[in-house]
Amino acid sequence: MNRKRTLFWSILALTILALVLTACAPQAETVGEAEPAAEEAAAAPTEAPAEESSDDMSMEPIKIGALAPLSAPGAVVGGEAMRDAMLIAADVLNARGGIMGRPVEVIIVDTEGLPERGTAVVERLINQDGVVGIGGGYHSSVGVAAKEVARDNGIPIVFAETWNDTITSVQYDEIFRIAPLSSEVSAVDVNFIQWLRDENGMKLDKVVILTENTDYGIPAAENTTALLDGAGIAAVTFSVDIGTQDFAGIVERVKAESPDMIVILATGEASYNFTQQAADAGIGPQDVPTMCNQVSLVSDAFWVNVPDGNNCFVRRIGLPQKLYNDVAQELVAEYSDRTGKDDIESYAMASYDSIMLIAQAIEDSGSTDPGDIIDALENINHMGALGPITFPINRSNTPEQAGVDPKWWHQFPDPAITIVQYQEAGQDAVDTAVVYPDVYQTDPPVIVGQE
Amino acid sequence: MENAAIFGWALLWILFWGALGGVVTPRIYARKDLEISQASFGGAVIGAALGPFSLVPLWIASPKITGRLIGIAIAIVIGIFVASFALADPDNLCVANGGFVISQLTNGIVIGIIYGLMALGLTLIFSILGVVSFAHGEFYMIGGMVTYFMSAVWLPGVSPLVAILASCIVTFVIGYIFERIFLRPMGSGEIERPTEYAILVTFGLAFFLQYFTQALTSAVPVKAQRFFPFPRVELPAESGTLLKMTPGNVTIFDAISVPNPRFTAAVLALIMLAALLWFLYRTWVGKALRAVSQDRQAAAVTGINPNSMNTLAFSMGAMLAGLSGASLVQVFSWLPQVGIPAAARSFVIIVLGGMGSLPGAFLGGLIVGLVEAAGTGCIPDATRAAAYIPAYSMVILTLVLLLKPTGLFGREL
Repeated sequence: MNRKRTLFWSILALTILALVLTACAPQAETVGEAEPAAEEAAAAPTEAPAEESSDDMSMEPIKIGALAPLSAPGAVVGGEAMRDAMLIAADVLNARGGIMGRPVEVIIVDTEGLPERGTAVVERLINQDGVVGIGGGYHSSVGVAAKEVARDNGIPIVFAETWNDTITSVQYDEIFRIAPLSSEVSAVDVNFIQWLRDENGMKLDKVVILTENTDYGIPAAENTTALLDGAGIAAVTFSVDIGTQDFAGIVERVKAESPDMIVILATGEASYNFTQQAADAGIGPQDVPTMCNQVSLVSDAFWVNVPDGNNCFVRRIGLPQKLYNDVAQELVAEYSDRTGKDDIESYAMASYDSIMLIAQAIEDSGSTDPGDIIDALENINHMGALGPITFPINRSNTPEQAGVDPKWWHQFPDPAITIVQYQEAGQDAVDTAVVYPDVYQTDPPVIVGQE
Repeated sequence: MENAAIFGWALLWILFWGALGGVVTPRIYARKDLEISQASFGGAVIGAALGPFSLVPLWIASPKITGRLIGIAIAIVIGIFVASFALADPDNLCVANGGFVISQLTNGIVIGIIYGLMALGLTLIFSILGVVSFAHGEFYMIGGMVTYFMSAVWLPGVSPLVAILASCIVTFVIGYIFERIFLRPMGSGEIERPTEYAILVTFGLAFFLQYFTQALTSAVPVKAQRFFPFPRVELPAESGTLLKMTPGNVTIFDAISVPNPRFTAAVLALIMLAALLWFLYRTWVGKALRAVSQDRQAAAVTGINPNSMNTLAFSMGAMLAGLSGASLVQVFSWLPQVGIPAAARSFVIIVLGGMGSLPGAFLGGLIVGLVEAAGTGCIPDATRAAAYIPAYSMVILTLVLLLKPTGLFGREL
């Protein structure tokens, strides 16, 4: 009798759970798989179908994989923004009539920011879901691992936000990137720091770098340290695991170093935790000039988690909003409608472009064969939200022939990088002051902690 | 580290003589028909302390190994460790900067108190039900989530104490319902393999709570505002050397610094600890709980219903975890996965303190908090110090299992 009662209660609880999850979790429905917007597609005119294409949107969809960190320890804030943008890409493509007249299905998978998880989900995308190309990608460590799976299977990946130089420097045919190179970003960071010292009179003898133990964080910290050293600025690096919560001990050590500036290369929630805990200890962005991680540009989440984050400098990939092209403006309008945000994060914009690039490569090649898509990507000239995207260093113009470092292989050469600053508490990311470089500057930097 | 060899030799001394003492002492005591329950652990720490100068007299005289003797030996080992470290790395912040050391110790104690509170819940459940709850971290997570949503979303501006109370109620009720539905059958003998069942069912609860919360709230991190910001005070005002308070921090003597969120979290934890001790030692129900933990059948003979105590213990344990989370949601960014490392740390703490021991859980929390603070603050390589945080508690766990598997206050298994 008791066992029956237990069974009854268990089944009842599970039923209620299933009902509640179904009712309350629309996000979970859309995260895993984006269904083609068949109705919109039917109403929209089809543009430039390839020769063998058909206008029949009931055909087998073309599947494109998409990588994003959607749960901890990945940078979930960034992952959710990328997911939203890639879903918009799928809808836009289907509204245009799909690719070669076939509907598009963007299958978004959660990498959790972990390389082993990234490898597993890319394997699944390729061998189980049958994708013809993959976009997105946030964490470099995931990109470093995933590129091997892509190479083994001959499937192209267009990485949107993985910065580690080696992702492209290994010169795999399948690997393309529209995110900036880590070493180039480090150079911009150090140029900015030098500019603060040389042009703004800021005292800058020592910089503390907080980084993460990942394929992004470690080389980025090493590059930055080397460049700072060249500029006559000492650097001390503290590294942590991604997902680290408690920074009390590290904050005390950073404080004891008496840094003139703090550079945060840790991503995701760890960057929020460190910034606020440093602020609690009196060495936050309002006390010591601090370069916060780019995830700080998700301003809603930033201000909830870092209420004392005012005066943060933040590196922003992409042009200022006033210089957005038509593609970017349309994307921002749609993104704002869906998310309620005033602007789009750079990595969300890049994720959108990564899907659209693959789509155009399929259209250009008129084929879903991965080899043909790779050929088309090498010769592509795509007007994306980031601007005109090309991959000038490729098999017909190798790094050796072009006389450039191998890191430029299949690399979008022109991602603009600006430094913005929150100059008011609670400020929206779109309203942040562009402080560097001079050509884009809207306001001078607010430099704290100078006596 | 300037003179790494000094520290290396000291460590080697401690490890060699500790291992020798731990292996040989119980054999000698057994041969002499003496009490051996403390011989292994005692021999290890006494050997580590003074090597042959203490082991030889111990083996010859073979005195009773008391807690006092072990305590003195541990103090000497810590002294040797600290002295050799200071000689090896005289410029280390932990050696050269007193304010830094006290700040690190304070941080370690503060976070250790909260660890202890969380582990108390886990050990309470284990002592009464004999179950290790793998959902403990998720109750911690829910405590923080409820507090955040109460104070920032549902009732903005409500007193943090009301939000904390709500988190206590929610976690208590979830624990109550879960125990009644899924764990009660264990007590009535309906489950053939209760140990495995308990592991699986609490694992199931953990996954359910984690993903259910993620479905409801998304995985974007949240954080509550400071519960009770400090007023701005500077004494004396012109120099600020004695006491300086800002909303987020208090600094004493310009050297010792304690962040406000940690301070208030620790005070809340201490108040709850006092209330828990009062409940357990001064009320009939609390005494009944302790009676059941000591001897279930004897307690039943005296009229105590062990099943009711099971329900109460699980609910209270869940509530204590929830309360820890509620205290810390103003310190850390909060995610549905935030309970996973917290639960792992709690398991280490209750093993260290002794499974089922309430004082052991609290002391274990303090020790883990202090070791983490010392490791993070003192390891010379800045690129490694914080990266090793998860390893510190695992080192403690390994040492405890090697030297004293029953933990500091555990009963003999």
